[in-house]
Parts: sequence; structure tokens; C-alpha cells
Amino acid sequence: MASPVVEVLTRGIGELNLRDIEVYRSTGGYVQLERAIKELGPQAVMEAATGSNLRGRGGAGFPTGRKWSFLPNNGRPRYLVCNCDEAEPGTFKDHMLLEETPHQIIEGILLGSYAIGCHHAFIYIRGEFQDGFEIMRDAVKQARAAGYIGKGICGGDYDLEFTIHRGAGAYICGEETGLLNSLEGKRGEPRLKPPFPAIKGLYGEPTVVNNVETLAYLPYILRNGAEWFAKAGPERSPGFKVVSISGHVKKPGNYEVPLGTTIRQLIDDCAGGLRDGRTFLGVQPGGGSSACLFAEHLDLSYDFDTIAKAGSMLGSGAMVVFDDTTDFVKASYALIRFYAHESCGQCTPCREGGNWIQKTLERILDGRGVDSDIDILMSAAHEITGLNLCALGDSIEPFLGSVLKRFEDQFRAYVQRAERVAS
Amino acid sequence: MSTAERDTELTATWDPYVQRPGNDFDALFVKLKPECEALIALYEDARSALIPMAHLFQEHEGFTSPNALAAVAHLLEQPLAVVESTISFYSLFYRRPVGRYMLQVCRNLSCIINGAEEIMAYFREHLGIGHLETTADGLFSYEEVECLAACDRAPCMQVNLRFKYDLTPKMIDDMLAAIRGGTYAVKARPQTKAPKRTWKVEAETGRKSAGGVGVSNPNNAGGVGDRSGVIMLDRIVNDAAFAARSHERLASEPQLRPSAGDGGHH
Repeated sequence: MASPVVEVLTRGIGELNLRDIEVYRSTGGYVQLERAIKELGPQAVMEAATGSNLRGRGGAGFPTGRKWSFLPNNGRPRYLVCNCDEAEPGTFKDHMLLEETPHQIIEGILLGSYAIGCHHAFIYIRGEFQDGFEIMRDAVKQARAAGYIGKGICGGDYDLEFTIHRGAGAYICGEETGLLNSLEGKRGEPRLKPPFPAIKGLYGEPTVVNNVETLAYLPYILRNGAEWFAKAGPERSPGFKVVSISGHVKKPGNYEVPLGTTIRQLIDDCAGGLRDGRTFLGVQPGGGSSACLFAEHLDLSYDFDTIAKAGSMLGSGAMVVFDDTTDFVKASYALIRFYAHESCGQCTPCREGGNWIQKTLERILDGRGVDSDIDILMSAAHEITGLNLCALGDSIEPFLGSVLKRFEDQFRAYVQRAERVAS
Repeated sequence: MSTAERDTELTATWDPYVQRPGNDFDALFVKLKPECEALIALYEDARSALIPMAHLFQEHEGFTSPNALAAVAHLLEQPLAVVESTISFYSLFYRRPVGRYMLQVCRNLSCIINGAEEIMAYFREHLGIGHLETTADGLFSYEEVECLAACDRAPCMQVNLRFKYDLTPKMIDDMLAAIRGGTYAVKARPQTKAPKRTWKVEAETGRKSAGGVGVSNPNNAGGVGDRSGVIMLDRIVNDAAFAARSHERLASEPQLRPSAGDGGHH
């Protein structure tokens, strides 16, 4: 079958030096920004975002235009923050976009800011992306020199300040209110919602937080029209998506496809299929927080709604593929340890729950497990999920729960080995 | 180490209002002050510059020293506790001196299912240290970290925050040799003070703090050895069969290992 791969955000990556503003401009870069400011006006950009039904590419999949529409008209300053705190296990698309095409991100941020009437935009880059931070810093310098950032952008009367903010190692700062706290110089602890950031965000003012990939699509939506985006893929979940595929495949990497491509196509036609002689056991379709899907799900359409209906989520669009060499006890342990480590500690179910599940799995892996440990693992969904301020706590259980149900024998085998040794 | 010693180590010797001639930090403060002020000017609220300023001091001192925290507090006109509370949340701020090369190996899912355990074991064996530890010569610090967003090229790591992909033992040998020989491409971190075995404050002092630090702390609630924070799993723990087994287990396992929360399985 033909490869479903398309090139929108990924065009020119690996061939052109898109970090150079002149090269980016030669591909039509910053043309849409200029057009928006000189011809279209902010309302048209807002309508393009709404009309394209562009849903957030960071994890929650919330419609971008709708998110913007929640901003109150109260005359207060507004902020736009681009979320580049990519740390969801399995996700590496923003890493690539940041390092390869920084200007595309800047243009997206500018268009989003222009649409909502924001005059100070931020990009929050995770602390580990030292290279990406330096690349963005150079790109912003070029964009400023070219008159795209600052006062009177493109000769119009629109002003925008642009600040790059580097994080310092905390997954939870990818949660939008945790990110805002971190940007305010505080611990990255998520806030109680409501009020949502659109009402009370950065410095208590109306704020929009959008993912890198979401914003980067804006120039192309303007260039090709909202219809073009809305017509690609399923009606309620349209457009394109950069899918990060890793794990047990021949060609792991980022593949940009229209949503609605099947999981099987993504694995076989994009990522080269499984390694030779191996059989497929499962795939995590949307980052570390998503439940595992199995062979019977391979022909599902990869889009927000279908994957949610199957009991998992599209999330950040990160697929981790597992073949028959996978030890799901260890795999679960790696993820649970991550959530236990990254819990900000505000909510007891998340802070203590993750820690307990981690210790229980540790005991099982250490050959000290007992039968009732499996019951503790199974209790996680009931005892942790849905009881926390933010989604981190709800992300602890899905993968574990799904593979425990399917591969309970792997977990039992560890326990039985332990009991045999003990007797 | 005595409590008194630990406390001195974490107390600033620099004070913006008290002149102590010969304090090395004076020169650094004077040097970085304009840059700090420029950072503050980037934001509507000065406190937003807290993390960027801490990065700046750490880039010069190699760790976020007590003096640096005092300086940041002074520049922000905030209590020291505000700065401490923020800095202690983030894993990239090192509260004590670390090695000139910070080796951070990913231990998350895509790396684990692609051989990261062998890589971690190889590092531990060849450096003779474990997670969150520094070699005696002060050259290497080693940490097993969470997903670095490079899963397509697993197993991966960062060396002083520069990515290294598709790791093999041979690459590690070459890298360690190049660093030891002073020919490695990635620049060494500054080291203004000799590091000790670990840079984690909590691990030694047993200070309990809520948050990312506390959860990996053996003194935190959780695990069968500690009933102090048990709330949600009471139902299971109170189950008689579980209690009996738990009791047996506790008898054979008097104490949780200090690194139980952080160590991989090797």
C-alpha cells in the first residue's frame, strides 16, 4: 500500500536548513503572517482556526478556535504561551520541530497572538532541550531583525514582544496551569480549575496555552484554507498530525499523516513494520498516559474520537509498539516510576498512589511479589484515577490496567517464580 | 556527616548587606547582576525571572549554590524561602556540586524496551557509581532520568544536556575515554567546588518535602514499611490475608533499601 505520509510541517526537514530565516522564507515562510496583518485582520485568522477544526496537538485535543473564543473581552492584557515542554513518554515531535523548523513555530505563535490580540507571547521550552533553546534564540533574533517581532510588525500597527522561557526539568510543567505557575517563577504545581487559563492565566490575566504543533499548523491553514485542513481526515477530528513512532519497529521516527490513517498503516507503511520474525503484541497509541491497544485494534482509524472510543486516547500522537520480546511488567514499571517521580505531590491519590504502585511492581520484579500484589495493581484505577487536580494522576493507571488485563500471566509468572523460590 | 555540617553547607556565606571581604561570590554577583536585571526586564512580573536567573548562576558555578539562591532572592526582593521552594521543585537544579560531566541516561519506556537496562548497568559498572552519584575524581556525575524525547533513537542520553543517541557499550567506552583524555566535543561544566558523592540534599538529610522530590524519597509515606501516610490503600492493607503476608515480608526485610525509589533492576 502507498505510504500515507504527507509533508506539511515536515516539508524540507533533512533537506533544507530551515533554521535560516532566508531558507524558511524561500519556502513561503512568513508570507501568511504578512498577509494576515496587511489584508486579513485578526478575525479572519480566528475564523480559519475555528473553520479548520484544528484540535490541540499536545494531548487533550481541544478545538483551538474554541479555546481562543473563551477569552473574555474585558480590556485586560492577554497572553499566548506556546507549550514546548514536551516530556510525554514516547513523544519526540516537538523536539524535532523545535530543532529543525523554529521559524515555523515562531510564525504560528505570531499568527495565534495576532488572532487573539496578544502583545506578549512566550514559548516555554523544557530545560533538557539545550540545543533547541539555542536554536530558538537564534531564530528569534533573526525574526526580530527582519521586523517580524517587536513594534509595527510587517509595517502594520501590530506589536508583539516574544520571550523564550527555559524550564528546569519537570514533566508536570507540560500541564497548562503547572506551566503557568512555572513561568511565574513558582513550583510547577497545577492550579485548581475553574478558573481556566482563558479567564485567569498568566499573572491572573486571560491566557491561551497552545502546543507547538498546533500553532505550527496555522500558517498552512491560512495558506491553503480552512477547508483544506478540515477535509483531511475524519470530520470531527480532521487535519494532519506528526506521529512519533518508537519501540519495536524497523524505522522509528516522526511521520506526518492525515488523521484517519489506520494504526496498521502507521506501523507497517510508515515505520517499516515489526522487526523480522517478531509478532505484534500491543501498541500504546498516545504517549505514556494512554492505555495499550492490541491486535484487534490495528485497523482502527487513528483519530481523536476513534481511539477514545476504543478505550485509549490519541494524546500527543506518540505510538510505542511492542513485539513478543516485551516484558510488560518492566514496561509498566518504567512508566509507573515515571509518574511517581513526576507527581508534583499536591494530591494524595497521585502522590501516594503512584509511589505505592511503583513499590508493588518493584517487589514483583525483585522476586518478592505475592498474589495480593496483583490485587493492589488492579485497585489502581479505582483508587487513583479521577481523584486529582490534573490529568497526571489519571495517567498513572491506563497502561498498567490495560496490559495487566491482557497479559496477567506475565505478572503472575513473576509472582509464581517468587513463591517457588520462597518455598 | 553531622547535622551541623550539613546545615553550614546549605547556608549562604554571602549577604547583600554584610560585606565579607574576600568572598568569591562578590565578583560573580557583580558580573552577573546586569544580566539578571535584563532577565527581570523580560517579564511583567519579576518573579518570572527566578528560574532563568538560577540557570544563569548554575551555568557559572556548576550548581545552584546557597549564595546563588540568596542572590536571586535579593534581586527579586523576595524571601529566600520563595526561591528555595521553587528551586527544589526542579530536577535540573543541583543543590550541591556535581561532576564536570553530567551523564543522564533515559530510563523510560521506549529506551527500556530497547536495551537501556544494559546501558545503565554498563555505566554503573564502568564508573563504579550509582544513580545520583559522582565519581571520586569529580569528573562524572551519573543520573537515570525520565523520557528525553528522543525515543526513535533509543537508548539515548544527554551529556551536559547535549543529546547522544543509539547508545552502545562501544560508544560509551569511546566517550568516557575521550572525556578522560580531555578531547571530548562537549564542553565540561564549571566546577567551583569539589563534589561529594551525591548532590541530592533530601537523600541525606531525610527532609521530607511534598512534591517530585518527596515521592522518590525513602522517608516519604508509601510502601509496606511505612504506615504514616497510608490513606487510600487502607482497605487493602487492612485485609487480614494481606496483613499476614505483609508481616512475614517485613520480618525478612527490616528496612527498605535507601535507593529503593530510584534504582533500576540490574
